[in-house]
Amino acid sequence: MVSFLGCLAYRCDSAVTAMSLSLLLHPSICCTQASVLLAQCVRTLHSCAPKTLHSQTGHFLQRRFPPRFQVRNRSRKTRSQEEEWKKKNKTVLTYIAAAGVGMIGLSYAAVPLYRLYCQASGLGGMAVAGHDTDQVETMKPVKGRIIKVTFNADTHASIQWNFKPQQTEIYVVPGETALAFYRAKNPTDKPIIGISTYNVVPFEAGQYFNKIQCFCFEEQRLNPHEEVDMPVFFYIDPDFDEDPRMARVDTITLSYTFFEAKEGQKLPLPGYSYQ
Amino acid sequence: MSTAMNFGTKSFKPRPPDKGSFPLDHFGECKSFKEKFMKCLRDNSFDNSKCRLQSKDYLECRMDNQLMTKEPMEKLGFKDLMDPPPSQADRDAKP
Repeated sequence: MVSFLGCLAYRCDSAVTAMSLSLLLHPSICCTQASVLLAQCVRTLHSCAPKTLHSQTGHFLQRRFPPRFQVRNRSRKTRSQEEEWKKKNKTVLTYIAAAGVGMIGLSYAAVPLYRLYCQASGLGGMAVAGHDTDQVETMKPVKGRIIKVTFNADTHASIQWNFKPQQTEIYVVPGETALAFYRAKNPTDKPIIGISTYNVVPFEAGQYFNKIQCFCFEEQRLNPHEEVDMPVFFYIDPDFDEDPRMARVDTITLSYTFFEAKEGQKLPLPGYSYQ
Repeated sequence: MSTAMNFGTKSFKPRPPDKGSFPLDHFGECKSFKEKFMKCLRDNSFDNSKCRLQSKDYLECRMDNQLMTKEPMEKLGFKDLMDPPPSQADRDAKP
């Protein structure tokens, strides 16, 4: 079959290409040449056809009715091979399916795992798991590293308190507890309740800045014309000195902002929530 | 700070204080201790390590006036400012 087609294609192809070429070049002259070539093509067709056809059909018949012995061997081989392939395919498919399901499962499990990792390593300023108050008792001050802590006080526009720090800066070393004061005055004639939050800059240093006690996150009530001192008792974790990221940090700024708290308003405490 | 759409950067997360909040000193009971501490800071160019005794006194005042929960000073990091135990003092006294 293939040989027959090949023969035909070759003969006629050459004739056709020759014809087309000649047509392109000499349209007038070629008509006769083209007809000659075409006749040649047809003649070859006729000559080709019977021989190859006969051989092809013979071959075909032979394939359909082969001797029985050969059939069994060949089919058994192909059948077992096919079965083997099928089995292999099945195992490969199951492996791939298992890997796919595993990947999906991993992506769901990654969320709590990552959270655990962040807690352990303290990345992103999140609450470090090994953050216990016994550390205050046992920690040793790192005398060589002096850090300047500057203080900043802000009030929200709506609160009428006068709020300012009592010292602009203080020099501490990591591992040593320190005390600092802010002063707040209520110049108005009615009691005002304020609530504050704080911020530490640079915020990578924020994870080392530990407050033992302060006046933030709880409502503080100031009576009319009252002035109070607000202390902050804090320390900087001794591990601050060993963190390579903090090697160039010499100044930490602690900034407090007071907001007015409305009656009955409950602000959420920033606990160890996963935000 | 949190208004910018910085999804990759870490933002600051405030943490509550370890021992909670100081009650306000409305009556100024410990004001004198505070003044002593501030004076010490100003004299020593705001060096905290030189004024630790005054800060310890202030915290003790607060504890005495129920403005702070009573706690042993070691837990607040003042272990080095406490008196040495009696056995050590006897050993030091011996020639």
